[in-house]
Amino acid sequence: MAVGTILVILILQTVLRFNLLDEDLWKLYLPSFLDGIVLSLRYLGIILPLSVVIGFTIGWARISRFRTLSWPLSVFVDFFRGVPPIIVVIFAAVLGPSLLPARFQSQDIGIIIAALTLAMHSGAYQSEIFRAGFMSVPRGQLEAAQSLGMTNGAAMRFVVLPQALRLSIPPLANEFAVVIKDTSLLAIVGGFELFGSSFIFEQQILFSPGNQLSWIFVVWTAVALVYFVMTFAVTELLNAIDRRYHVKGLEAVTV
Amino acid sequence: MIRVEELEKHFGALHVLKGVSLEVQKGEVLVIIGPSGSGKSTLLRCINLLIEPDSGRVFLDGTQVNRRDIRPEWVRQQVGMVFQSFNLFAHLTALQNVTLGPIRVLGTDPTTAGAQGRKLLARVGLADKADAYPAQLSGGQQQRVAIARALAMNPKAMLFDEPTSALDPEYIREVLDAMAALARDGMTMIVVTHEMGFASEVAKRILFMDAGRIIEEGSPEEIFHSPKQERTRMFVGKILR
Repeated sequence: MAVGTILVILILQTVLRFNLLDEDLWKLYLPSFLDGIVLSLRYLGIILPLSVVIGFTIGWARISRFRTLSWPLSVFVDFFRGVPPIIVVIFAAVLGPSLLPARFQSQDIGIIIAALTLAMHSGAYQSEIFRAGFMSVPRGQLEAAQSLGMTNGAAMRFVVLPQALRLSIPPLANEFAVVIKDTSLLAIVGGFELFGSSFIFEQQILFSPGNQLSWIFVVWTAVALVYFVMTFAVTELLNAIDRRYHVKGLEAVTV
Repeated sequence: MIRVEELEKHFGALHVLKGVSLEVQKGEVLVIIGPSGSGKSTLLRCINLLIEPDSGRVFLDGTQVNRRDIRPEWVRQQVGMVFQSFNLFAHLTALQNVTLGPIRVLGTDPTTAGAQGRKLLARVGLADKADAYPAQLSGGQQQRVAIARALAMNPKAMLFDEPTSALDPEYIREVLDAMAALARDGMTMIVVTHEMGFASEVAKRILFMDAGRIIEEGSPEEIFHSPKQERTRMFVGKILR
């Protein structure tokens, strides 16, 4: 994997004639680059955990006895699955703060609300992953647990949940990869995470005399590389968890 | 040991149990036969309260147990159940399947539960499969683990819901042997099965159920060879052939 990536970069460098380690560029770009990464990680720190909480809760609620919740929740899921996240982000950032008291009406608050809606967007997808996980545990096992004298709660905790979570991990890895890259959408409402900060920087060098056009390639290759590493790290982590808890005969079909 | 009086159960418009009464003495093996849809499985599930009956009374050791003030979990804990489709916990090894109940419900410490579990697995002939996952076991082995799992709760009685119906023919014998051994050890058992050999050998009494009612009751000899009711005769004729 790593070898392949390096190879692709080397080929790109040769074909497009740029140098990824161009010192003159990095002197100018490094601050925006690092600030962007830090901000991206911060957003992810909010979005990823929150999306899992939302997805798990909705997925559970939709298979549970709380049937009354099922209809509004399915509307929530269908809405976020059916609308492009970029539109949701714009609406959230622009309209969100206006619903709050005046002292909270700022762009920063708008960006945070947009980040929260990204978590909801992914939560909608994840709820289906968790729901599928729950539903793929045969009902008979719940009956067997109950007939040992377990309460519903205990049967859920010791029998259904361990299997449902195992089956959810591979498709979750897939979804996390999407979420990581979707954080770049926050740039369009002024959340200058890695993509946004690099975009601003690119605009600057484009119009500064004496700068090389090939720097654009350097910037975007570096940005892509960071997204790649983040995605790779998170999916590898989940794969490792998957392998650690792997049980023969209990496998999910990867989406 | 187990007594059931006038059990009624509806599923929507379907009248599944129409006033079923029966009694099983301590150490007795009762076999229930009958066509599919006759209410046998529902009857078993009403006895351990996996299904709440609409009306009627279920007694365990002389105490009525389908009452508001008795937790169904407490009843199920004392009545073991073995299912047609085994229902082993797929994420746990054979031994963990057997010890989960004692550890989580009875609060047995894991070391003691493990030792007991190994003994129970040895009792059903699976001492060497303790660390195998269900998917690595044959149907017959899975069902024997399921029997050990139910026994681990030290139940007063055991319910078997067509325990061999989902098995390939070559695995039926080993499961029936394990059940016969259990009966010899004095376990009180209610068994829904169509295994005539097993019923003749192990059961003192056989009940024939059809359309939510007990139609006929008698010794294996009477039910299989000289049934009084026409419906029993027709059914026995079909399964003996």
